[in-house]
Amino acid sequence: MDGKTAPQMRHFNPYSDNGGTILAIAGQDFAVIAGDTRQTVGYEIQTRYAPKVFRLNDKAVLAVNGFAADGNMFVKKVKQKLEMYRHAHAKDMPLRAIARLIQTMLYAQRFFPYYVYNILGGIEEDGSGAVYSFDPVGSYERESCRAAGAAQSLVQPFLDNQIYFKNQQPIPGGPPHPVHLPLSRVIALVTDSFTSATERHIEVGDELEMFIVLSRSHPQQSLDPRLNATEVSTTASGEKVFVIRRPLKRD
Amino acid sequence: MDILFGLCGKGFVILAGDTTVAHSIVKMKNDEDKIKTLGPHLAMAYSGEPGDTIQFAEYIERNLRLDQIRNVHERRPEASASWIRSSLASSLRSRRPYSVNILVGGFDISSAAIVEGQEELGGTPKLYWLDYLGTKVEVPFGAHGYGSYFALSLLDRYHDPNASVEEAMGTLKRCIDEVSKRLVVSPSKYKAKIIDKDGVRDIEIPV
Amino acid sequence: MNSLVSKFSTNNIPKQDVEDNEEYSDSMWASSAGYATNGLPTFRLPSLQQPTDFLRLHTDDHADPSCRIKIKHGTTTLAFRFKGGVIVAVDSRATAGSYIASGTVEKVIRINKFLLGTMAGGAADCQYWETYLGIMCRLHELRNRERISVAAASKYLSNLVYSYKGMGLSMGTMICGWDKTGPAIFYVDSDGTRLKGDLFSVGSGSTFAYGVLDQGYHWDLSDEDAQELGRRSIYAAGHRDAFSGNTINLFHIKQDGWDFIGNYDVSKMHYDGPGNIPGAPGTGYGYEVRTNPEACVVAD
Repeated sequence: MDGKTAPQMRHFNPYSDNGGTILAIAGQDFAVIAGDTRQTVGYEIQTRYAPKVFRLNDKAVLAVNGFAADGNMFVKKVKQKLEMYRHAHAKDMPLRAIARLIQTMLYAQRFFPYYVYNILGGIEEDGSGAVYSFDPVGSYERESCRAAGAAQSLVQPFLDNQIYFKNQQPIPGGPPHPVHLPLSRVIALVTDSFTSATERHIEVGDELEMFIVLSRSHPQQSLDPRLNATEVSTTASGEKVFVIRRPLKRD
Repeated sequence: MDILFGLCGKGFVILAGDTTVAHSIVKMKNDEDKIKTLGPHLAMAYSGEPGDTIQFAEYIERNLRLDQIRNVHERRPEASASWIRSSLASSLRSRRPYSVNILVGGFDISSAAIVEGQEELGGTPKLYWLDYLGTKVEVPFGAHGYGSYFALSLLDRYHDPNASVEEAMGTLKRCIDEVSKRLVVSPSKYKAKIIDKDGVRDIEIPV
Repeated sequence: MNSLVSKFSTNNIPKQDVEDNEEYSDSMWASSAGYATNGLPTFRLPSLQQPTDFLRLHTDDHADPSCRIKIKHGTTTLAFRFKGGVIVAVDSRATAGSYIASGTVEKVIRINKFLLGTMAGGAADCQYWETYLGIMCRLHELRNRERISVAAASKYLSNLVYSYKGMGLSMGTMICGWDKTGPAIFYVDSDGTRLKGDLFSVGSGSTFAYGVLDQGYHWDLSDEDAQELGRRSIYAAGHRDAFSGNTINLFHIKQDGWDFIGNYDVSKMHYDGPGNIPGAPGTGYGYEVRTNPEACVVAD
């Protein structure tokens, strides 16, 4: 090089799309956060078990979808911040504060974004179930259900119909549509969402990982044994967190 | 899309600018004043990149105000215009230059500017045409924007450096009417300021 | 020599931009746990000659619909000043390409009890910076023992986004409120424009909203008629602009702060209207006039 010409960069693409889908639904006193575990690049399956849903503390679970490397990095950094908070305040960060933290962390990367769609689910300080959804640069909103990722356009309309009862008329003279669904119904909807998405989307499948967070005000503090759930919460007196793993089609 | 005009007459300068602020196809505002008064006998009409225009104009306005506070004597139009030009020129070589085009109108009241035999005028009118590249030229009349394509030839033909205020306003009106007649999307409203020995003030454009 | 070379090197990125410098300072272990900020937030940039081109390459969905990071766009927002205060009305749709990412977006950001900001363009940009503006307005109150004027608040935001000009921020917002001077609206956008005015509409559906708004607007509108005009104008945009719709959020700012008037479903407005509300026609905004023209009541 003659030293006169500056180095020319032709191509820099630090992003990739690793497929998969995540989903979260809030109930009155619980939240369900789920994701499949398939990781793809293009038409190639890199692994059949790459978790996308992570327990942050006993009342918050974060699902990340998009570019896996960014997602893993991001979750790691969120966990670090939450641990720092715990050391400083001797308590877990409340859910709405985690949501705001995630916004500022994502927005700090405004000019070099994490290619990650986040869904945060858990229990608020008032005991209600909550879901927060984020775009890659940190705009967020509290909702009661949200799907993101490869099959979001397959799953979200189904959820709109089954949870918000969109385009459904209540039976004349009958009861109105319920505002909150019971846990058993929500678990069934999540399972069906993923089995159906697996049927119709090539980037979805292998395994379903579903986290359930129960508020202390939830009448049952354990899950039906037939669900084969594993408890992963750390204290006996706080919110309860469970994981359910289900096989999905692997083709 | 902004249109600016400026012309000198006998003992005064007139600056005029349209009053519309547009974003893509929408007029966001139609009473925006694009002429800033910079001193007792100095004003500036500006146009260009949205955001840059107001930021640069306010930067100039405040620095000239500071200059006025620091110094007893009024800065002459030539000196002010030169400083504005040098600000634009140094901005041009910076990371993000201001894209602003300017007409500076001033009235030089210093004793050197009083013409013998025309003492009653109280000085000399001055008009400077500046662009975002840092070009500065003293002109008897000038224009920026699409208006310049129509108005410059018109002013070559009709401008009179010895015109009275009424005659000059008539010439300005010709410019505005010509733009309204020929430009595809032309602004509907203009604002004008006159600068003479008595200072800077608004002036009605004849209907 | 090396320092001289690096000084004039074109790709001279300060080290702190590459490494996280704040991550594990002593302050991490104090009660602030590393959350205390020292003034303006800092942003990480890609180590490139043109960080802005990088962002555009990966986020601009107009130039390349297949690009990965879809920043939400498409909106109708409006605000106008009248004798009874300020009306602020917005839709609630967020689109990413042609996918409706959300139909429940809060496009009115509550800066404080007397200030509202609207959201058009990048959702995160508006949400983040208007929240930040709220913090600065509160600090102004604490420092000066008086509420910030709408003019000052909007200028703060305008100067802030202007400092990021060319970096790819995208926002078109109206800062609305009531201060010592009465009701006020300022339009502020990411290219640094800041305009004072009586009536603005921003977003992809703004032309449709203007069509109804300009025709129905005058200063002496009653509160009810003004609210109806805001509602009807957003409905019009929701009906004609594919990127706008779902629901309408309506706010009214008076001397003692803002009031949330209501949330209205655009489809419901089409068939049934807002119900038996003063100022409303009593029928749907759209369906009746098309299916039964005799029933059409022309507004005066």
